[in-house]
Amino acid sequence: MSDPVPLTTDHPGQVASATPPARGRSRRLSDRGLAVAFISPALLLLLAMSVFPLLWALYLSFTDYSATRGGPAHFIWFGNYTAILTSAQVHQRALTTLIYVIGAVGLQTVLGFAIAYLISRRTHGRGLLTTLFLVPMMLSPVVVGLFWRFMLDAQFGVVNSMLGSLGLGQVEWLTRQRTALVSLIVVDTWQWTPFIMLIALAGLTAVPKYLYEAASIDRASEWFRFRNITLPLVWPLLLIAVLFRAIEAFRLFDLVYILTSGGPGVSTETLSFHVYKVAFLGFNTGTASAYGILMVLVVIVLTQLYLRYLNKLKEG
Amino acid sequence: MRYPKRIGRLSVPGRRVQLATAAMLLVATTVAACGDGKDEGAEASAPKAPATIPELTKDPLTLSFIWFDWPPAHALEDFANAEYKKERPNATIKVNTVPNANWHDAMFTQFAAHKTDFDIAILDSQHIGEAVTNGNILDITDFVKKNIDVAAYNPYLLAAYGQFPQAETGKRDENASLYGLPLLGDTWTMIYRKDLIGDKPPQTWDQMISAAEKCQADNPGVSGLAFHQANGSDAAAVTYNTVNGVYGGNLWDSKTRKIEGVINDAAGQEAMDVLVNKMKPLTAKGSGNWFIDEVNAAVAQGKACIAFNWIAASGGLLDPKQSTLGTTREQILDKLGFATLPSQKTNLVPLGGMGMHVSAYSSEANQAEALNFMEWFERADIQKKWAAAGGVPSRTDALQSPEFLNAGPFNQVYTDSVPRMRDMWNVPEYARLVNIENTNVNAALNGAKKPKEALDDIAKEQQSVLDSSGRRGGGGL
Repeated sequence: MSDPVPLTTDHPGQVASATPPARGRSRRLSDRGLAVAFISPALLLLLAMSVFPLLWALYLSFTDYSATRGGPAHFIWFGNYTAILTSAQVHQRALTTLIYVIGAVGLQTVLGFAIAYLISRRTHGRGLLTTLFLVPMMLSPVVVGLFWRFMLDAQFGVVNSMLGSLGLGQVEWLTRQRTALVSLIVVDTWQWTPFIMLIALAGLTAVPKYLYEAASIDRASEWFRFRNITLPLVWPLLLIAVLFRAIEAFRLFDLVYILTSGGPGVSTETLSFHVYKVAFLGFNTGTASAYGILMVLVVIVLTQLYLRYLNKLKEG
Repeated sequence: MRYPKRIGRLSVPGRRVQLATAAMLLVATTVAACGDGKDEGAEASAPKAPATIPELTKDPLTLSFIWFDWPPAHALEDFANAEYKKERPNATIKVNTVPNANWHDAMFTQFAAHKTDFDIAILDSQHIGEAVTNGNILDITDFVKKNIDVAAYNPYLLAAYGQFPQAETGKRDENASLYGLPLLGDTWTMIYRKDLIGDKPPQTWDQMISAAEKCQADNPGVSGLAFHQANGSDAAAVTYNTVNGVYGGNLWDSKTRKIEGVINDAAGQEAMDVLVNKMKPLTAKGSGNWFIDEVNAAVAQGKACIAFNWIAASGGLLDPKQSTLGTTREQILDKLGFATLPSQKTNLVPLGGMGMHVSAYSSEANQAEALNFMEWFERADIQKKWAAAGGVPSRTDALQSPEFLNAGPFNQVYTDSVPRMRDMWNVPEYARLVNIENTNVNAALNGAKKPKEALDDIAKEQQSVLDSSGRRGGGGL
């Protein structure tokens, strides 16, 4: 450590010496070099943990490699892709996933926006209400799945017990084809509606007050104000929330694993759950890699189309 | 004053250098990742264990097992630490447990990485084919010849937990290789309410269904039957396989590897019909996802007249703290009876239980300790002690010993069931075969498929798995 710079001088006759100039940076380390030095650890981590595995999965997707059988990977080019795209099993899981995504995200959007709208109109207790509504989102999906599994148990569950006290019959929530998928949608909605609510609330808070004031002066109705001021201004933000939720819902695994194991039969098996089975039951690594890559591609393409729509909306 | 340099796009040569560096980095990473060429092109086969146990280390050592989380796993850790330490004070036994549904994945993902945090894998008998074909466990044929008294076992038990290729039901091929030794024997027991259906258990499957039907009608709130129906693990598959065996069906023709036309023949169809149309209506509503714990809970809560469960998982039924059937073990036993499964066209029962298998990726010192542990565990006196500690031994002398027969009311059931056992397929494709059967039987039990459709789908899909070994692309779909 260098000595402190004297503030006074022992010799009043002398002019206090100025602080010596900072030593120039080594010529070898330019600004750009410094930037690279700071960025490279993160860049290397990203390369090792994300980029390399993605490229490696891409390579394996063109082979018949199996992680447990060992031996060399033989190139089969688009064999895995053709098999996946023409498989009736995959089509069935894609349909299940589509129904799930539309059902869950649709319900969450309506409920999330409605809750956010009601909260935004309150002047007192808004913070407390928002925090309480956010609690489900903070829980682990596995924990959520486990306690909903107990609550939805046909014999001992609290939901059927409540239905019973209302004079209604027992419902087999998790073991019947239709109710099982509905149960998944309900549980996912319980957990993730707060996410949509949070983003919608941010949008609603950002709507300029003077617009409402102007509408009031013009004696515009409540519905008119909602339809022509609130909704158009919140809509783009809401669509971004829907995009995030749709991507999340598309790769649903944990709730299915805990609540239904894909059953009854395979009626609640989503694409992600099916990839898991392909990857770990038979250790068909090549096929599972191709399956994963295709899922990523689907998400990227749909996201691009969606973003274009969003941009057009903004421009409009 | 020094102004910062304007940061803009690099000149073309600079960008080229960066691109080239990035490309080289990527290639180097790829080469490094592919560089572990040990398994590339290597023949997949199990390495051999020495016939004689190598010199054991005197340093502190932890011998690790992997199993799923259930009472026998905890019993094994306690028993081994109490007894094995008397001979090997420097050794500590650790039984790592995972949920049942993750058991296969937990073992085989580590095998895939060629690095295991366990020395002894406790494999289901059907996992042996997959582990042997991939070279994941040691071939202990020579070790067994030199250290184990094979005549002390029912030959089929020794074959079921160790032999590959799979033995014919009830037999052992003495020329075949062995890859494991029995750890815990198991089969299904019929648990019946003596106070509701009488002291004498039903002798045939038809009688059992009639008794359950009558009991359910006479006792509102109590269901006639409780059994495994879930589509996780092998739950629903074992249930169908049991009924299939009792009604004279077969799962496959192992010699010709034929499933289509075998499992769904007339006997197989009858078994599926009995299961879905006669047994399922006698179960509790919403029991379509029940497995071991749920069946035990139904029995302990007095909600089932007759239930089927694995013997090794039945100990908790006698615990008054977990039961509403009585405040003492004796009171519970006044109400609960345990019997071998009823017979019908045959008297087959499902083979359960697991064997000990040495990881090929464990260190030499730990492999030596593992072999020593197995030799110790299979000794006559230790097998009797294991029986007294709550385990199910496999040596015939231990199975007939008072230590075992007096340890639990269901142990006599196991001893009587040993000559009646039948296993599933022990082939590398087991995990996929059982998944197909589980999901389809579960679908039939829960009304998602018609029984015949489900059985025909099982036959078709399983046959396709066995026939697809040479297919290029789409394996696993």
